[in-house]
Amino acid sequence: IPQDSVKSIGESIGILQLPDHAMKYLSEETSFRVKEIVQEAMKYCSHRKSNKLKCQDIDNSFKAKNLEPLYGFISEEFIPFRFASGGGRELHFIEDKELDLNEIINGSLPKIPHDVAMKAHWLAIEGVQPSVPENPVPETHFSIEVLKKGDLKEGRKGVPPMKSCHKPENSSLVALKSRFTHELSVEQQLYYKEITEAAVGSSEARRAEALQSLATDPGLSQMLPRFSTFVSEGVRVNVVQNNLALLIYLMRMVKALMDNPTLNLEKYLHEMIPAVMTCIVSRQLCTRPDVDNHWALRDYAARLMAQICRSFSTSTNLIQSRITGTFCKCLHDDKSSLAARYGSVAGLAELGTDVVQNLALPRLQVEGGRIKNILESPLLNPIDRTAAEHLRGLLVKHCGPVIKTIRQPPDHPEEYLKDYGSLGPLICQHIIKLR
Amino acid sequence: EVSSLLSAYSTEADPSSYDDNYRILQQFIEMSMDGNKCELSLLLYPVFLHMYLELVYNNHQTKAKAFFAKFRGEMEHYHDADLHQLSNITTKSHMEGNNFIYNLKSNKFVVRISRESNHLIKKFLEDKNVPIIRNILNVQVTIDEFEGLPRTKNQIWASAGGLCGEAKQEENKAKVRTSKFFITTLATVGEIFPSFHIQVYYGLLKEPDIDIPLEDEEDTLEDQTEGGGSSKSKRRKKKEFLSKKNKSDPNAPSVTRIPLPELKDADKVEKIAAAKESLKRIRLAGTDRVSPSVCCYTFTNAFGGVTAVDICDDSTLLAAGFQDSHIRVWSLTPRTLRSVKSASELGLLDKEGDDIFDRMMDDCTGTESKSLYGHSGTVYSLSFSPCRSLLVSASEDGSVRLWSLLTWTNLTVYKGHVWSVWGVKFSPHGHYFASCGGDRVARVWVTDHHQPLRVFAGHLSDVDCVAYHHNSNYVATGSSDRSVRVWDVLNGNCVRTYTGHKKPVMCLAWSPDGRYLASSGEDSMVLVWDISTKVLIAQFKGHTAMVNVLAFSRDGEVLASGMSISLYGLLGGMDNSVKIWDFQQMISDIDSDDIGMLRGHATISDKNYLLSDFPTKSTPILHLHFTRRNLLLAVGVFVN
Repeated sequence: IPQDSVKSIGESIGILQLPDHAMKYLSEETSFRVKEIVQEAMKYCSHRKSNKLKCQDIDNSFKAKNLEPLYGFISEEFIPFRFASGGGRELHFIEDKELDLNEIINGSLPKIPHDVAMKAHWLAIEGVQPSVPENPVPETHFSIEVLKKGDLKEGRKGVPPMKSCHKPENSSLVALKSRFTHELSVEQQLYYKEITEAAVGSSEARRAEALQSLATDPGLSQMLPRFSTFVSEGVRVNVVQNNLALLIYLMRMVKALMDNPTLNLEKYLHEMIPAVMTCIVSRQLCTRPDVDNHWALRDYAARLMAQICRSFSTSTNLIQSRITGTFCKCLHDDKSSLAARYGSVAGLAELGTDVVQNLALPRLQVEGGRIKNILESPLLNPIDRTAAEHLRGLLVKHCGPVIKTIRQPPDHPEEYLKDYGSLGPLICQHIIKLR
Repeated sequence: EVSSLLSAYSTEADPSSYDDNYRILQQFIEMSMDGNKCELSLLLYPVFLHMYLELVYNNHQTKAKAFFAKFRGEMEHYHDADLHQLSNITTKSHMEGNNFIYNLKSNKFVVRISRESNHLIKKFLEDKNVPIIRNILNVQVTIDEFEGLPRTKNQIWASAGGLCGEAKQEENKAKVRTSKFFITTLATVGEIFPSFHIQVYYGLLKEPDIDIPLEDEEDTLEDQTEGGGSSKSKRRKKKEFLSKKNKSDPNAPSVTRIPLPELKDADKVEKIAAAKESLKRIRLAGTDRVSPSVCCYTFTNAFGGVTAVDICDDSTLLAAGFQDSHIRVWSLTPRTLRSVKSASELGLLDKEGDDIFDRMMDDCTGTESKSLYGHSGTVYSLSFSPCRSLLVSASEDGSVRLWSLLTWTNLTVYKGHVWSVWGVKFSPHGHYFASCGGDRVARVWVTDHHQPLRVFAGHLSDVDCVAYHHNSNYVATGSSDRSVRVWDVLNGNCVRTYTGHKKPVMCLAWSPDGRYLASSGEDSMVLVWDISTKVLIAQFKGHTAMVNVLAFSRDGEVLASGMSISLYGLLGGMDNSVKIWDFQQMISDIDSDDIGMLRGHATISDKNYLLSDFPTKSTPILHLHFTRRNLLLAVGVFVN
């Protein structure tokens, strides 16, 4: 607990002039006590056989220390910390909205939560895990190495017949499953067919339904590998054919899968990321680049990529740094097309202001020069012109807010021209508008 | 009391000399022979610990902080939890009233080293001018010297990690014995065993005679219907089974050592049923083994609220304790749970009738599950009585409650524990139960007394789990001080102390033959201890998170019938998997003549005994239970 916090807490209860040494003592003492309480609470947490510390554990530890528990705090599974910065200070806080009591009283009652239920299923039958929805997907388990094949004598009835209530519902399915192939049930196959047809079909209403189903239905994890392959193959084929509409549909599918809280895409990122990446930086995505709005696809895919980075990037897989590396390489390559550059900038911009500041700003001068050259060249074709204009607009749009935070007013177009090259004056205008 | 203990720290020593002193000790250890190096480096941690506290006590806060930061990185990883606590303590006032400090001060840190190494230390203290270290070693550290070669790094690692160092050898040695027989044994055995231990009667009690002919008749009838082929082998199996049962085990305590309740008729029927079912048991280890089948019961919509689970011995009932302090019992068979009829209705029944037990139950009350309300805190542990009509529960509110599963009401509240009660366990013979809790003691109770019969005190921190030995004569406890202790119910003495866990011990299991004790906990290692020789004999590593539960398969009974040993250890944990270890193989691999083992050192092989591993789908396993036929039941909570 830093001294600043002690100070502001003191101020909030009317103690204005705390001497420094008192503050230091208080901050040390409170830190120590808080640590002590949390340590005690950890004990309760592990006895609950859980690894998530909850408010109740803290309450219990208060109780054990003979302190009054704090009433009225309940922990939620998901605590959205908001981030705010300003005046050189950073702050994380929980948004605590004011609730209108009337609304709550007059509103309909929330649904009663389901009662605790107990369900039986086979985790293993003679050492083999049947692939039922209750068991993890076969890719993730590795019991195969441990088991010795020869031990499974055919026709041997080792398990005593179970009472009827122990039997899982789809026992016929269980018996047919081999350990390696992972087949879908007939219903699942039908579902897969319907969904994929609707997702890339011509009816927008059906597509919306299919995407809704992908984004919300639990229990799709069995089919996830198929969907992942569908997307990656689809992108591969349609990029070659420059079929913009289909690419957009596929990206929307990825988005829906990402949004499904019951699915974990981590195991399929090796297929997803290249597909999404292609839609961001590919040289050509549509048949008529001068008219078709492939920029929207690039923007959408870039947002998707940023979402992937946020969800799955860890210090071990380094997804984010590998992605930024790819974008930068494309940006630094003189031969890459304007459309690819547009995609790279869009991709970088979605990864946050830090990335923009460190990787895009230094390129501003070079890119500005290039755009200027293209626009002023005598042999200007309409494709290049729209591309250059889009790229210019994008750079101004994303670099503007970043430059705004690092530069103090007044803003002189000349200074901007000096610092940021030919795009300087445009950015300057943008910033003046922003301020 | 604490401040008087702490006053030992007050010294006039120059705070800047601590660094040098510590460096000199490090150099001395660095320069010593390779054989002794590992043992001597055990001294570094207690010296570091007490040097830091001494600095803090004498108000050299900045020096203390610097000292801590400088040398902390060199400590072994298993001290991390303690060092973390230590780093919180930065002023003298923090030291007072802190449990951790109190434990360190009231117990000397035990370091086990060979005579040779001890000699080196003495010489070092004489040669070098290190008053601070000398003082610490004299006042705060006990050196437990043993004869023979210094231990290897692995041996040391296996037994290190206790809150106050290792268990002392004397703690497990016989103290004063007057029995003539005992003295003679001590004299002869003492030469081979430098450290002879208190005898623990780990054998199983002699089974009471049950009406066998009846059972045989039924069996032949069954055989005839099945066809003649299997009847012969079955008969032989049964003979072996019965003959073994009637032999008495030399290691067993006498049946009357602990008074046990007399068997009722119903118990006898139960025993016969159990014996019959155990004949149909499948073997899970050995050459003709069958890979295990696991049936998983998953709680859904529990919102993480299930905190304790128990399944009764014949696998017909399952009880779950919840965070919101209620208990619910499910029937695992199609038979519903019924309560007894009212007193007036009961009076009308014919008490001599054969089906009296069935008729006294009220069919109208039959449901699939029943709830029990009474606790006012999270329920941390549950245990069914062997007769299935009673259930004990332990809760955060400090009470243990006894519930009747006939009337579905609370019968008694046992108060005694000061803080949370972490564990409770019925004796395998009923009547008694043991509980343990946050007040650092374990207690043994009888169901018909409201006060405990025994209080086992000795652990330095919370007692997290308790396990009754199969012969009801001993109780094992595991604690947050990272030690496992075995207590004699007869006299309340601690007969075994084991260190080796690096984090709190959360679960225990006795092998069915009563000789081995398996323990595990937050450090995700499963350790197996031999009660007869007092040694650590195995470390099963493979889990990556806290291990919640351990269970042995039922083959201990097979062992008693004279078939080949087929023991089987098993556990589940929070890395959401059930792992099965080949316990039988491990036991047969043990070299009982190993010199290290004779000297009481931990001897473990690196062999992997993992047989199978069944991951679950984000379902931490809370309980494991082998049915009498060795089908494994796992209970978990689905975490969304």
